[in-house]
Amino acid sequence: MSDEFVFRLPDLAEGLEDAELVEWRVSEGERVELNQLLGEMQTSKALVEMPSPRSGIVRRLHAQPGDLVRVGDPLVTFEVDENNEPGVVGRVPREEAPPRRVRLRPPSQTQ
Amino acid sequence: MDADRLRETYRLMLLARRYDEEAVRLQRQGELVAFPPMSGQEAAQVASVLALSPADMVFPSYRELGVAVGRGVDMTGYMLAFRGAWNGGLYDCRRNRFAPMASSVGSHLLHAVGWAMGARLDGRDEVAIVYFGEGATSEGDASEAFNFAGVFRAPVVFFCQNNGWAISVPAERQSAGEIWRRGEAFGFPGVRVDGGDAEAVFAATSAAAERARRGEGPTLIEALTHRFGPHSTADDDTRYRERAEVETARRNDPLGRLRARLAASGVPDSWFSDAEDEARLAVSELRASLAAAENPPAVEMFDFVYAAPPPALALQRSQLEELLGPDA
Amino acid sequence: MPELSMVQALNAALRHCLAAHDRTLVFGQDVGRLGGVFRVTDGLQHEFGERRVFDTPLAESGIVGVAVGLAMAGWRPVPEIQFDGFSFPALDQMLTNLAKYRGRSRGAYDMPVTLRLPSYGGIGGPEHHSESPESIYAHTAGLKVVTPSCAQEAFNLLVAAIRDPDPVIFMEPKSRYWAKEEVALEPAGLPIGRACVVRAGSDATLVAWGPMVHRCLQVASAAEEDGVSLGVLDLRCLVPLDEATLLTSVAETGRAVVVHEAPRTAGFAAEVSARLMEGAFGSLKAPVQRVTGWDVPYPSGAVEQQYIPSVDRILLAVQRVLDY
Repeated sequence: MSDEFVFRLPDLAEGLEDAELVEWRVSEGERVELNQLLGEMQTSKALVEMPSPRSGIVRRLHAQPGDLVRVGDPLVTFEVDENNEPGVVGRVPREEAPPRRVRLRPPSQTQ
Repeated sequence: MDADRLRETYRLMLLARRYDEEAVRLQRQGELVAFPPMSGQEAAQVASVLALSPADMVFPSYRELGVAVGRGVDMTGYMLAFRGAWNGGLYDCRRNRFAPMASSVGSHLLHAVGWAMGARLDGRDEVAIVYFGEGATSEGDASEAFNFAGVFRAPVVFFCQNNGWAISVPAERQSAGEIWRRGEAFGFPGVRVDGGDAEAVFAATSAAAERARRGEGPTLIEALTHRFGPHSTADDDTRYRERAEVETARRNDPLGRLRARLAASGVPDSWFSDAEDEARLAVSELRASLAAAENPPAVEMFDFVYAAPPPALALQRSQLEELLGPDA
Repeated sequence: MPELSMVQALNAALRHCLAAHDRTLVFGQDVGRLGGVFRVTDGLQHEFGERRVFDTPLAESGIVGVAVGLAMAGWRPVPEIQFDGFSFPALDQMLTNLAKYRGRSRGAYDMPVTLRLPSYGGIGGPEHHSESPESIYAHTAGLKVVTPSCAQEAFNLLVAAIRDPDPVIFMEPKSRYWAKEEVALEPAGLPIGRACVVRAGSDATLVAWGPMVHRCLQVASAAEEDGVSLGVLDLRCLVPLDEATLLTSVAETGRAVVVHEAPRTAGFAAEVSARLMEGAFGSLKAPVQRVTGWDVPYPSGAVEQQYIPSVDRILLAVQRVLDY
């Protein structure tokens, strides 16, 4: 099960109305992690790096380099895992086989 | 207060005073383990609880003999708490709507607020009143209780008896501010009354209860009182307070003040001596019933821990029962 | 059956209880409009109204104290304390009042309070957000302590805890909140207080609860690769403790390793191993081993995996009981 999440251009500075997309660092179909760099935007005040707000798969990039994106307009659409929000505090543990080094000697071999 | 109610208040205040004096004697005679006397606080206690209706719920601290008397709580069951027979008291909490007496200072304010929130959720026009001293207002739970009551407009009356002393620490070392003013900080009214004036106490508590019943939320009442005696029978208050203070307080005895008020309104001496006779009889009955009362058997310590004892607890009960043999 | 995370299963349990019994109340910090910081109460205020699902001021002692009063007034409170470490400001109300009120009133008042407590570590939480206080509550007579290990158990046990007439400290393993499985949303009707053999084994028994059940299952799989058969017992409920199932399971293998996240000293594993000594001494082939958190305050999130019992640490303890 997965959900769609649309990341809209936030106000990157106080009272900003739009920003220009300089370049993407990700492409459509790519899996990105939370806070992975998505791209760079030029505001009227500074060149700003855009960290990903979610982990998931990039389904659509809504702008091309050089485009002016208005605050509130869609920037990236993600396909995100349902219910993988950690809540207010902490992160979701990865479901993976934990590392092991210790090997057991079964009881029959220990006598 | 009409004349009948005023006389009833006096009668109950006198009864509370005589029980209180008897409890101190019983402690000195080894019948009670310890007792916190409330003499001096009768007007605050009796007149306030008489301002409530029977369906209202009372949350007492441990120095609330006058409230218990005003509420009609079984005195034997009440006093047995001070013989160590049962923590919280052996009276029927539900019958008199009188909660187990709280000795974890200040923690019971929250129970009163929760109960009042529950009554309001049910749409019942019942009120909770909680009794505590000025020392309890230093506890964090008191502030949390004031805050919850304000936010949820809980129908609760906070009745603070400021008797000037929390064991040996005077009121001015508990708070640099005036307690009754704290209500405002939490969004509800506070009032200060002369806790030695039964009529003033009754009026303030009635107004607070009616306000709560109308759905307008809590009130904080600070009743200025004096305790004539030590904190408890194990305390020596001569180590920390001047005798002159106690003497002054005794000259303004709330019982004497109400008696003068009644006498001035034409109540004859014979009525007062009848009240005294009645109290004397009640006190001797209490002494006899305490002497006759058995403590609950030791194995009852297992019986009210859970609704049904888990197997390990049932086993422990049977182990103690076996050890005690026929004495169990 | 739907596949649900533990968060969704807990949400379903609360929804079931709110619908089934109109005196059930859910309250705490941020449980209303926000749906709780872990979304366990998501949508409940919308569905059942602000009267029965409500936000409280930020005051843990206040939350537990009013729960006592609400229970006295005949309600069935299910308060949430946001995190394990913040149950400590409410300890006085929990230990002094919630646990004792039935006794203090000689049974006049039931205390059917289920205090939900997101617990344990493993999520990289900041300070005070990863504590394992179960032995504090288990040591307090009058409280019951229940802790689910998976989504299905979370649903079953929360419904059972809310139905129980006694106060239950319900410790939810945050690190298992998002693990999914198929969950039957029909209350099993079982009371609390039963342990569960989640994996049968013949060489040794791992005893755990809450988040360490999953860890022990990982250990059992690893052991299987080496030809060692480990059973896993989920206690589910520390008070009352299902001593019969504990003794039977361990007697079958003769070897036990008890695992928890809490520090070692006076942790609940000490209680479990004492019960095994008293009740299964004759069947034991080796001394009971404990694998626990270290005797340190819960460390910062960056190093918590070196604090929480790892597969290797548990395997080493297994080797000790096999070799004895």
